[in-house]
Amino acid sequence: MKPNFIQKVTNWGNFPVVEKEMKSEDSVSKIKQFVKDHNEVIARGNGRCYGDASLGEHIFSTKRLNKFISFDRLNGVIECEAGVLLSEVLDISVPQGYFLYVTPGTKYISVGGAIASDVHGKNHHAEGCFSEYVIEFKLIDENSEVLICSREENADKFWATIGGMGLTGIILSAKFKLKNIESAYIKQESIKAENLDEVFRLFDESEDWTYNVAWIDCFQKGKNLGRSILMRGEHALKAELPVNLQKKTLKLKEKPKPKIPFYFPGFVLNSLSIKIFNFLYYNKQTKKQLNNFIDYETFFYPLDVINDWNKIYGKSGFIQYQMVIPKENGKEGMRQILDTIAKSGNGSFLAVLKLFGKNNPQAYNSFPVEGYTLALDFKVNKGLRKLVDQLDTIVENFGGRIYLTKDSMSRSSLTNYLQNVDSSKFVSLQHKRIINNG
Amino acid sequence: MIILGSNSEVAQAFVEECLAKGEKFQTIYLLSSNPETTEKFAGHIQVKFFQHSEIIPLDLMNDIDYKTLENINSDVLFCATGYLGLGTEEGLYDDENTERIIDVNYAKLVPVLNFFAKRMESKRSGTMIVLSSVAGERGRQSNFIYGSAKAALTAYLSGLRNYLFDKKVHVLTVKPGFMDTKMTEGLPLNPALTAGPKKAAEGIYKAFKNKKDVAYVLPIWAIVMFIIRNIPEFIFKKLKL
Repeated sequence: MKPNFIQKVTNWGNFPVVEKEMKSEDSVSKIKQFVKDHNEVIARGNGRCYGDASLGEHIFSTKRLNKFISFDRLNGVIECEAGVLLSEVLDISVPQGYFLYVTPGTKYISVGGAIASDVHGKNHHAEGCFSEYVIEFKLIDENSEVLICSREENADKFWATIGGMGLTGIILSAKFKLKNIESAYIKQESIKAENLDEVFRLFDESEDWTYNVAWIDCFQKGKNLGRSILMRGEHALKAELPVNLQKKTLKLKEKPKPKIPFYFPGFVLNSLSIKIFNFLYYNKQTKKQLNNFIDYETFFYPLDVINDWNKIYGKSGFIQYQMVIPKENGKEGMRQILDTIAKSGNGSFLAVLKLFGKNNPQAYNSFPVEGYTLALDFKVNKGLRKLVDQLDTIVENFGGRIYLTKDSMSRSSLTNYLQNVDSSKFVSLQHKRIINNG
Repeated sequence: MIILGSNSEVAQAFVEECLAKGEKFQTIYLLSSNPETTEKFAGHIQVKFFQHSEIIPLDLMNDIDYKTLENINSDVLFCATGYLGLGTEEGLYDDENTERIIDVNYAKLVPVLNFFAKRMESKRSGTMIVLSSVAGERGRQSNFIYGSAKAALTAYLSGLRNYLFDKKVHVLTVKPGFMDTKMTEGLPLNPALTAGPKKAAEGIYKAFKNKKDVAYVLPIWAIVMFIIRNIPEFIFKKLKL
């Protein structure tokens, strides 16, 4: 039996599926050799990006780069290999009183992926992107050399790699800062908003909160357009916690995790079932405002509770469409987008609205710019390309852009903000698609 | 805990499983033919579990310096050394390949296991967990050199278990079946019959705690191997396995 590294590979959205070479190594010399021996290499972490960003002719999986290197518990600085997942970082840091400064909506992404996508969280307006807290990382470049990249050393590579979607090389390891927490709980307030105007007003009022996010019922039209629930939160201080949570403030009980055992048949998720879900979700909270304490997993990672939830969308897969529209046009842009979705009948199970603060101009490849960002899941079906095209037009008219980490269908003019590509060594299918379109 | 073959993904996953389950070890002795790579793992368990470890060079293909093993003192030994080598088609008539398979999987390994067995015997306590292979249960045309070396190892372990039984030392033979590791990356393995290192480690840990004598990593392998063992030889010789 000779090894054959060609295999079916797909990311979290199960769309597209490709048959390409995928290999994994843990020794630096072997990784160097892999880079030397191949053209068109792309690194892939845990495959939790949605579209075609980490797919390519020769995929290097970082799954065997899974070791911690050091943890300075006094200063909250951790160093680990690129394939370590954020969940693994949290497993050791939370009991020690440290949390990630920035986390996306799943903890099952790799540290390398977090840098390559420069992920953002519910606190972008207050604390920026993941890169703000990265001290340095090691990168294998197109000459198979290992470079240490920081704000001082190889700074050009440092900034090009942040948000650079793997096109500058393979990240081997990274050192980054963690934030102090007193408890593993979040003080949360959830407030119901009747429509878009109200939720925008609530976002403005909540600017002093560290974490803000709104769930939108995207089936509503007319005066109910933008009906939503805004959730804002802070890391709870020890003294604030109710008595029953005060015993073990930094340790959470392990919860059983249901698992989606197979791909749901295509008809399960349709506009009616999503409408019912949205109705129930909105009306689950009967009061206008609810204040409570919840554990960080429930607050940050509600979907991680269900293993393999992507199978709900069936074998044809789904896309996540996330755009940002600059603040001055934000409200009108969102109105048109929600209106278009409601009319299309292609509802999204999950629609999440956030406010981005000012971007870091040094991190020029990062997706966030100041404005409103909406993330939507759509099942792949015949009408989807048309809807994406309509949405793209609106985003383009308002000067917005699309998040590369989730993109697999959008037009190149909305995704070509990536500026770092000067080598042909590291190429993804997404990169080729964007270039060919343009 | 003593680990033979510390760069094996299964061995590392087993160490993590024990530590995650709250097992305490004063020192974990990481015996390795490639200490440089093992260093990464030593740092990893230090960061993750505050676990102190010591790296000791041990290359079964070279003369063993038993002095370096003298100060090792532990109640649990986990052995994951192994060498798959080339299969029959490419490697049968390659003497170097044949010798290396026999040496690493059996001939050079047994004296080292004996060394530690003797210590446990004199202390009258301990557990030796050794990875053998399903390949050792019946010689098949595709890789019977490897299979025969593992068969020898399995027989050795069975005898050792018998010998050490009234000396209060437990011997656990693990037959992993297909594993999703570096060794098998890129091979077309049936997913239903294949376990990743973490899954394997969980199974081995359970077998260790339950004082099992022989354990398959996935229960399905017990059935598969029962069938393979019981095919009459006059039919078996005609099969392409």
